Amino acid sequence: MKKKGWVKPLFDKILSALAENKISEYLINDTLKESVELFFIKKSLDMRRQKDVHHYSVTVYHDFSKDNIKMRGSSTISLFSGMTEAEISNSIKNAYYAASFVCNPYYDLPSGQKEALLKIKNALTDLSLSESAKKMTTALFEMDTEKDTFLNSAEIFLEKVTNRIVNSRGIDVSYEKTTVKGEFVAQCVTPQDVETYQSFSYDNLDTEALKTKVKQTLAMTKARANANTAPAAGEYTVLLSGQYVRELFHYYLNRSSAGMIYPKYSNYQIGSNVQGEDVQGEALNITLIANEPYSSEGIPMKDLPLVAESKLETIHGNSRFCHYLGITPTGQYQSIKVPSGSLSFDDMKKEKYLHVVNFSDFQMDDFSGHFGGEIRLAFLYDGKTVTPVTGGSINGSILDVQRNFSFSKELQVEEHFEGPFAVKLEHIRVAGI
Amino acid sequence: MKVNSSDYLKQVKPLLKTLLNDLLKEYSYVSILASDSKAMVYSVSKQGTSINEDTILNGRGFVVKVYDNKSYGEYSFNEITKDSIPSIIRKIKEELAFLKTLLPDGITEGVYARLPEEEASFSESTDYIENPDTLGSELIVAHLTTLSEKARAFDNRILDCSAACRYQQLHKLFLSEKKDLEQNILWTTGSIMVMASRGEEIKYYFNGYSNLGGTEILKEMEQDVENVAKYTLELLDSEPITPGEYDCICTPEVTGMIVHEAFGHGVEMDMFVKKRALAEQYIGKQVASPLVTMHDGASAAGETATYFFDDEGVPAQDTVIIEKGILKRGISDSQTAMYLKTPPTGNGRRQNYERKAYTRMTNTFFEAGTDTYADMIASIKYGFLLENASSGMEDPKNWGIQLMVNVAREIKDGKLTGKIFSPIVLTGYVPDLLKSISMISDTVKLGGGGFCGKGYKEWVKVSDGGPYIKAKIRLG
Repeated sequence: MKKKGWVKPLFDKILSALAENKISEYLINDTLKESVELFFIKKSLDMRRQKDVHHYSVTVYHDFSKDNIKMRGSSTISLFSGMTEAEISNSIKNAYYAASFVCNPYYDLPSGQKEALLKIKNALTDLSLSESAKKMTTALFEMDTEKDTFLNSAEIFLEKVTNRIVNSRGIDVSYEKTTVKGEFVAQCVTPQDVETYQSFSYDNLDTEALKTKVKQTLAMTKARANANTAPAAGEYTVLLSGQYVRELFHYYLNRSSAGMIYPKYSNYQIGSNVQGEDVQGEALNITLIANEPYSSEGIPMKDLPLVAESKLETIHGNSRFCHYLGITPTGQYQSIKVPSGSLSFDDMKKEKYLHVVNFSDFQMDDFSGHFGGEIRLAFLYDGKTVTPVTGGSINGSILDVQRNFSFSKELQVEEHFEGPFAVKLEHIRVAGI
Repeated sequence: MKVNSSDYLKQVKPLLKTLLNDLLKEYSYVSILASDSKAMVYSVSKQGTSINEDTILNGRGFVVKVYDNKSYGEYSFNEITKDSIPSIIRKIKEELAFLKTLLPDGITEGVYARLPEEEASFSESTDYIENPDTLGSELIVAHLTTLSEKARAFDNRILDCSAACRYQQLHKLFLSEKKDLEQNILWTTGSIMVMASRGEEIKYYFNGYSNLGGTEILKEMEQDVENVAKYTLELLDSEPITPGEYDCICTPEVTGMIVHEAFGHGVEMDMFVKKRALAEQYIGKQVASPLVTMHDGASAAGETATYFFDDEGVPAQDTVIIEKGILKRGISDSQTAMYLKTPPTGNGRRQNYERKAYTRMTNTFFEAGTDTYADMIASIKYGFLLENASSGMEDPKNWGIQLMVNVAREIKDGKLTGKIFSPIVLTGYVPDLLKSISMISDTVKLGGGGFCGKGYKEWVKVSDGGPYIKAKIRLG
């Protein structure tokens, strides 16, 4: 029975429109986002923001034949609150028509059942977004105690997201997740005025991790203020640490996705030696980490072995590309875990090296294997003394260095990566002075 | 044809006016930005065909900005009915205000004045020849399929060609006590990326296309696809460059990347407020060759970053940043301009209604010079023609340069030798590079195929470009 003034929820309007247009295969992503956002200049709150938004995304699938080949086209659209039932029906009808021109070979959609709402519980979800924002703000500024080296500016975003994923094959799953993300800029004004950009992202109220990150970034910035010259041009043993290790390892995560393997952008196959033949350095071992309980298609996600002793164990991806490759769909992964290496970071630094701790923007190209970037801060050890340097760039290929990797015993946790703190790369070209 | 107004925004405008007037009883400044954006991405490659919404640009929603006689707060939402207005007001008055009471010891609230406002009311729309909605998905996909297949058939060494088309039909309303503004904008971009394999390594060449208009751009792409395939195959014979400083000619696209990344970010004046930009100390001083004049502005060119008012209701402008080598001024959002006591330049932009406004570039470019491209190549004893910019990162604090380009073509004794080096990292100190500019070609070309981030987020559409320039640049 409808009450007076009752408005049909948009979700129900979407289901009605799909039925009205006789669309039998579909996927609905219903996302509710709530956020608290704080923007600081030094130790002053410059702007505060809040957000409450509700997004509905609908993918419709259209089955047809072309040249006697069974096809499954799809098209994805957004639907908005305030749309009338007629508008929704018309948008879905147009999307279904558009999908009839998407000539992708047929693939199965994942199937499932209705599951209870999964609330990812931790210290972050025990508090309101505002209370968590206060605790993270306290942590952010706790290490900011010096006069010459300080936080120039910062942004903190607390976000609670509730995702519901429903498809025509019985999947009806939902989960609630809260994250804290942000960025800050550390500045050191003497002897040179320099700065370092840093970002952070946690699924928990990880005040200690943020404090550590701020402390390390302030120290790095102080070191950069003392760096005057670029390294001389030449070939170096390069040590990468921090987030750049993640960028390097994510090459293997991306190359092993079904979306890259199916069109032959990547030649990986199960059992492939991803480091090439004749591996003389450390063998790769990588685990895929499920950051979300379900993929955007509603496929349950769990941790999986990706690479064991250099050999590829899993190809990950969505239902379409996995179907084409004849493998079980796993969902698309974004996070990996790598065990510690055999060398301590101190042992890595016993011979001449160039340890790059900050690039302006490190680029790792998944297609070509090329990596490079301009050096904002590096420590150069010539066998006698360690000198901070800035400027110049490195330019290398992972295909040339992957047989001789060395990983540190020390570990680190970055967004979408848990693994060695540092990696040693031999014979890297450096453009310097 | 002019882009039509949004029926949805017309429908909700009375509700937004009610919300505005109710909030003005409480706050001395209130503005509401309403946005209705349809943005789609089409692509065809061996991966398959896709027709999807653009998840960053697509959406309908609102952002309210209020001033409580001390500081500013914002509330973003995307559902409004007559019945929901009281709860929106309660959220702003109680929860948004509450946030500043939660600050830990030692953290203070920033204090600002009220934003100044002048009466303004207008409705403007951009033009197009062919609306993507009218052309329809069937023909857009057919065009892209033809492009992709043509490139793949060009040579058996070609692995794939990804052809894509993206458009945004954007409608915005800006309402405040003194302003009632409306704009309706359509831009379309395209891209062709051709890949060829050299063993395990895949080389690729990427070309972007853009206009302030509709799918008429697809014709330009059709004329260019074989060139992109040819350039990709050339890359198979490329080799790494010997690091060093060289005489270089930059194509307009690489010039644009230098203008945008190396200098443009450094004159975004919200960085002046934070004391993060070296440029603040160089206003009125020489920062580039006297041959260089640089512009930024939503009304400075007709490209993908063209609009009639920014996301804070400031009319679009054409700002001359460098005039004959002298740094004249920067660009700013409203709050920054008020803080620095400078006029706002119409550069307050949001990724979408869910995000904060920052000072952002729009259409950014160098003016043309008087040299010809042929004379510029002929002037090089040994150097490179740099083309196909792929990425760049700003460093406003220290004016360090990092740009990646895909191709450096060798020039010897005033002629291109046909030898290619790839990939290339450009580094150096911005004023050194800009002051070394010794020749500038007589035509300007802008491209708006890409997005610009503030750091690693807050993506907005921009265009950049200029003429061919000759400069001394460190390559690695």
